[in-house]
Amino acid sequence: MPTALPTAPAELQLVELAEANRPAQLPLLTRICEMLAASPAVTHLLVRGSLASGTADRLSDVDFVVGIHDRDLSTFTQSLDDLMTVAGGALLPGWRDTIVADLGGIGFVFLVQHEGKLQQVDLYLCPASQISLLRRKVAGKLLLERPPAEITTAQITQARIHITETLSRPRSCTELLIEHLVLAVLLHKRIRRGQRFVAYAEWHMLHTATKDLIKAALAPASSFWGWYQLREEIAITPIGRSCLAELDAAITSPAVPTTDDVNAALDRVIQLTQRACPNALDGLTDAITAYRTYLELA
Amino acid sequence: MEDEARPTHALAGQVAQLERLDASLIERLRHEALTASASWRAEYGDYQSGGWWTTSLMNASGDAGDVRIGDCTARPTTLLQHMPITAGLLADLGLSYMWVRLARLEANAFLWEHRDYDELDQVERHRLHIPLHTNSSAFLVTGGTKVHMAGGRIWRLTPTYAHGVCNLLGPDRIHLIADVYADDAYDRLAGRADAPETAERLPTATEAVLTERFAAARRLADLGYIDAAEQLLLRLFYCVALPEGTVYDLIADLHTGRGDAESCRRWTVAKSKLLALAAP
Repeated sequence: MPTALPTAPAELQLVELAEANRPAQLPLLTRICEMLAASPAVTHLLVRGSLASGTADRLSDVDFVVGIHDRDLSTFTQSLDDLMTVAGGALLPGWRDTIVADLGGIGFVFLVQHEGKLQQVDLYLCPASQISLLRRKVAGKLLLERPPAEITTAQITQARIHITETLSRPRSCTELLIEHLVLAVLLHKRIRRGQRFVAYAEWHMLHTATKDLIKAALAPASSFWGWYQLREEIAITPIGRSCLAELDAAITSPAVPTTDDVNAALDRVIQLTQRACPNALDGLTDAITAYRTYLELA
Repeated sequence: MEDEARPTHALAGQVAQLERLDASLIERLRHEALTASASWRAEYGDYQSGGWWTTSLMNASGDAGDVRIGDCTARPTTLLQHMPITAGLLADLGLSYMWVRLARLEANAFLWEHRDYDELDQVERHRLHIPLHTNSSAFLVTGGTKVHMAGGRIWRLTPTYAHGVCNLLGPDRIHLIADVYADDAYDRLAGRADAPETAERLPTATEAVLTERFAAARRLADLGYIDAAEQLLLRLFYCVALPEGTVYDLIADLHTGRGDAESCRRWTVAKSKLLALAAP
C-alpha cells in the first residue's frame, strides 16, 4: 500500500515547476470555460476525461459537459457553431458526436486552433433537468454549478423533443465530410499513442462515414440499411462505380492504419466529395487547408 | 461575373503589387522574423479583436516596444540591429521611413473596418507590406473586394480608404509594414505597380443574408454572449460587400433592439473613430 507523500517543506519553491508541467490544454480549457460561463443559460460545467482524472497527455482532448437550462437548449444548440467559431476559434462546424454514450443530451466535437496547434474540444450539451442523472453515470470535475431558474414540465418536454429531433436528423454531405476530418484527428492520436484496438474501431467508423457520404450524395432516398444494396443502388452510373471503387479501396486497406493510410483515406474522401457532392466543400476550402497545415499534412 | 472577378481601377488605387522579391531573400527574412526575440505589443485595441501584435524595427525612439506610429524620422530599433537581412533590405530600398514594424495577426484575429493616418500630419505617405508568413484565410478587404496579399512581392496599401484585415483560421500571418514618406525612391518603387492578381469581389449583401446574420447575433446576445454577437456582425465585413460602416450600424441596431442605449451610443462613437468620420 503506498504511503502518503510527505508535505513539501515551505522553503522548496515548487510553484514554478508545477506551472511548467501543467497540461498544455489548461489555457484552452480555461478559455472555453470562461466563454461558456458568460451565458446565464449555462447552469453547469463539468470537465471529463483525462483532464479531470489527471492522466492527460499532450494529445488529450478537452471534454466538457455543459448543463443548459431546458428552456434555452434549442437556441443554445442553434448558436453553438457561431459561438465556437467566433469566440472559440473552431476551424469547422461541430461534428455531432456518435461515439459518446447517450447521457440524455447531444454531443458535439470541435477542432479548435489554439496557440498554433489543433485541439479537440468535446461539448456534451445536457438539459439542466438531466444533470443530476448524468452525474450519477459519469465521473467528472464540477467547474461551475448555478442553481437554474425554475424548470417547468413544458420546458423539459421541449428540450427532450429538441434532442430527439437533432439526433434523428439525417446527416448532410458537409456534416459527413466533417466527420471524416474529426475521425482522422482521432486516428492520428491513436496511432501516436499506439492504441491499436481503438484505432481499429475508429478506422471502421471512418470507412462507414465514407459509405454514408456516398449514400447521402448518390442515393439520398435509399431505404436500405447500412451497407446493403450499395452496388444495386449506386454502381449503376460511372460516378457511382468510381465512388464504390474508392470505398472498396478503403475497406481493403490494413485493419489497423498507419499515419500514411489515414492521410491517403482523407485525400480519397476529399476527391470523392469533389466528384460526388462538390457543394459540400462550399466555404470549407480554407478550413481544410488550415486543417492540413495544423496536422502537417500539407 | 467576369467583371466582378476582375480588379477594378479603383481597387488598384487602394492596394497594388509592387516589386518582386527574391524567394531565397524572403526565406531568410521569414527566418529572422520567426526567430527574433521580439517584444510584441497589442496596441490599437479599439481597432482589433485581440490577436494583432506589432513590434517596431524603425521608429522615433529606437525602442522596439514603441509601436504607436507617428510622424518622425525613423531610426533602427535594437531589434533591427539583430536582423541583418531585414536591415539590409530596408537599406537597399532607400526609402524615407516614418515607421517600420513587424505585424503578427494570430488565427481568428481581426483588424476591424477602419481608416488609418487620420491623426497624422497632412503630408504624403504610403504604406508598404511585405508578407513574410501567410495563409489563404488571411486577407484584406477594401472597397468590398477581398485581397490575399501573397508572399514574394512588396505590396502598397492606401490605408486612408476604409479597410479591414483578418486571419480566419491561421496559422499566424506575419507582415513587415513600412510607412514611408513620398520621395523619388518611393516614386521609382511605386512606378512598377500591378493590380492585385488575387482580388475577389465579395458578393453583395442581400437582405436575406443580413436578416439571417442579425438573427444569429440576436440569439447569441440573448443567451448572454454579447461580445460574440458583436463579433459575428463585425465579421460580415469579410464575407459580403457592404456600404461603409454598415457593420457598426448593425451592432448599434442590435443594442437598440435589446434596449441597451449606452452600448448603442458606444458603437456609434466607435464607428466615427474607426472610420475617421466627423463626430456624430
